[in-house]
Amino acid sequence: MTMVLTILINGLVFGSVYALLSMGLSTQYGVARILNIAHGEFIVLASFITWELVTDLGVHPLTAIAAAGAILFVIGFALHRTLFKRVRDISPNAAAFEGDAILVAFGVYFILQNLMRIKWGSQTTGYSFMAYPVSIGGAQFQARSLFVFAFAAVICVLYNLFLSHTRTGKSIRAAAQDPVAARMLGVKINRVMAICFGIGGFLAACAGVLISMNQTFSSVTGLNYTVIAVIVVVLGGLGSIRGSILSGFILGIVGTAVNSYDPSIMLVVFYLIILVLLIVRPKGLLGR
Amino acid sequence: MAMLEIENLSAGYGNVQVLRDVSLSVDEGRIVALLGANGAGKTTLLNAIYGLHKPSSGTVVFRGRRIDDMPGDKIIEQGIAYLPEGGRLFPDMSVKENLEMGAYPRGLWRDRKRDLERVYKLLPRLGERKKQLARTMSGGERQMLAMGRCLMSDPKMCFFDELSYGLAPKMAQEVLGMVKELNAGGLSVLLVEQNVRQTLEVADYAYVMENGVIALEGEGRSLLDNEHVKKAYLGL
Repeated sequence: MTMVLTILINGLVFGSVYALLSMGLSTQYGVARILNIAHGEFIVLASFITWELVTDLGVHPLTAIAAAGAILFVIGFALHRTLFKRVRDISPNAAAFEGDAILVAFGVYFILQNLMRIKWGSQTTGYSFMAYPVSIGGAQFQARSLFVFAFAAVICVLYNLFLSHTRTGKSIRAAAQDPVAARMLGVKINRVMAICFGIGGFLAACAGVLISMNQTFSSVTGLNYTVIAVIVVVLGGLGSIRGSILSGFILGIVGTAVNSYDPSIMLVVFYLIILVLLIVRPKGLLGR
Repeated sequence: MAMLEIENLSAGYGNVQVLRDVSLSVDEGRIVALLGANGAGKTTLLNAIYGLHKPSSGTVVFRGRRIDDMPGDKIIEQGIAYLPEGGRLFPDMSVKENLEMGAYPRGLWRDRKRDLERVYKLLPRLGERKKQLARTMSGGERQMLAMGRCLMSDPKMCFFDELSYGLAPKMAQEVLGMVKELNAGGLSVLLVEQNVRQTLEVADYAYVMENGVIALEGEGRSLLDNEHVKKAYLGL
C-alpha cells in the first residue's frame, strides 16, 4: 500500500514536470510547425540561471521564474523573428519548412549547449532546497518534490486559462486550428508564431526552474528533456496541449513504477508505449 | 458613388496571371453577385481585395478610402467581413469562441459581449448552443455559425464565398434567404457563387468572370435571359 502511494505521488510529481516540459514544445509546434530540438537546452539554461541567482544572490528559487522566464521568452520570440521566420519565407512549402526547421533547431541546440558548456563546464551542479522529508499516509517524500508538483500544476492550470480566456490565447488556438481563417479575421500570423515561440521559451524556463529545485543538472542534460518532451507530445497528440498534460501524467506514473523496478528500462517502456499507440491511435491520445 | 470600387486589379501566382485588369463596383445596400466556373479567379479576386493576396496592380477603394495595402484587421475595422468558402470555422472551438474570433481586431474586441448578444438575437439557434464545438455541428449549422462570425464585426459589407456550396438544395435556399434578409437590414453583399440560377434571382447586379477577366455584367434578372449565360451556365 505504501509502495503504491509512493509510486503514485512520485508519479504525479514527475508527471507534472513532464506535462510542463512538453506544453512548451507543443505550443511551438502547434502554430509555428517547428519541432524545437533545442527545447531541452532552454530548460537547462533556465536551471543555470536559477542556480546562479540562488547561490550568488541567495534569492528564493521561485523568484528565478521571473528572470529566467523573461529572458527565455525574449530568446524564443527573437529566434522566431530572426531565424525561423526567414527559413519559413524561403521554404517552398509547409512540409519542406517542417524539415528545414528541425535542422535549424538542431543548429540552435548545438550552439546553446556549447555556449553553456563554455560558461558552466560539463560537471553536474545543483543546490539544496527544502531538503526535508514529509510523511503522507506512512510514505516518505521530499518536501521539495511536493512543492514542485504544486507549482507545475498551478502553471498548467494558469496556462490553460490563458489559452481559453484571453484574446491572445484564443488567437493562438485559432491559428493552430486554421491559420488561413485566422488571417482572414485579422490575426497577424507571424506575430502569433513568434509569441508562441516566446511562450515555449517561457514554459521551458518554468520547467528548468522547477527541475533545478528537485534534481541535479549539467550543460549536457538538455537532450534528455527534449526526448521526453517529444515522447509526451507524440503520445498526447501533436499540438494538443491537453493531450500533453494527460500523457505527461500517464508517463510520469508509468515511468516511476518502472523506475522502482529497474531504472534502466524506463525509456524502453516509454518507446514501447509510443510504438503501440502509434499503431492503435496514430494521431495520439487527443490528437485530430 | 459606389461603396466598394475596384479598378484594374491584376494578381497572380508566380508567372501565372490569374486576374487581369478586373474592375467591379458594389453600391451601398445592394447584393452584387460574382459568378463563374471553378478556376475563373473569383476567390483570388476576393483575396486580393481583402489583402490576403497581394495584387500586382490596381486599386481597391472602400467608402472613399484605399484599402489595398491595409492589414487585415484594419480592413475588418473599416467594415468589411469575409466568409470564406467552406466557412473555415475553428473546429475545436465552441460556438461562442468562434463568434468571438469575428471580433478579434483590437478596436472591436472590447465590445464583443454586445456584439455576441446582437448575433444571438439575429441567429437564435447559435444562442442555444454557445458551448457546442464547431466540429460537432451539421453543414447548415456550420454555415450559420460562419455567417454569425462574419456579423460579429458589425460589417457594412460582407463577402460571401460559395455560401451554398455543399448544402442540400433546401438548405441552400434558406441560406440565400438569410442573405436577402441581412441585405434588407442594410448590409451590402458581394456574393461569389457557382450556383448561377438561384444567385441571379437574389442579386441586384452580377458580374460573370471567365479566365481572370470580367466577361459579362448586368442586372441580375436580365442576365438570366442572356444567351451566353443560358448556354454556358444554365445548360439551356
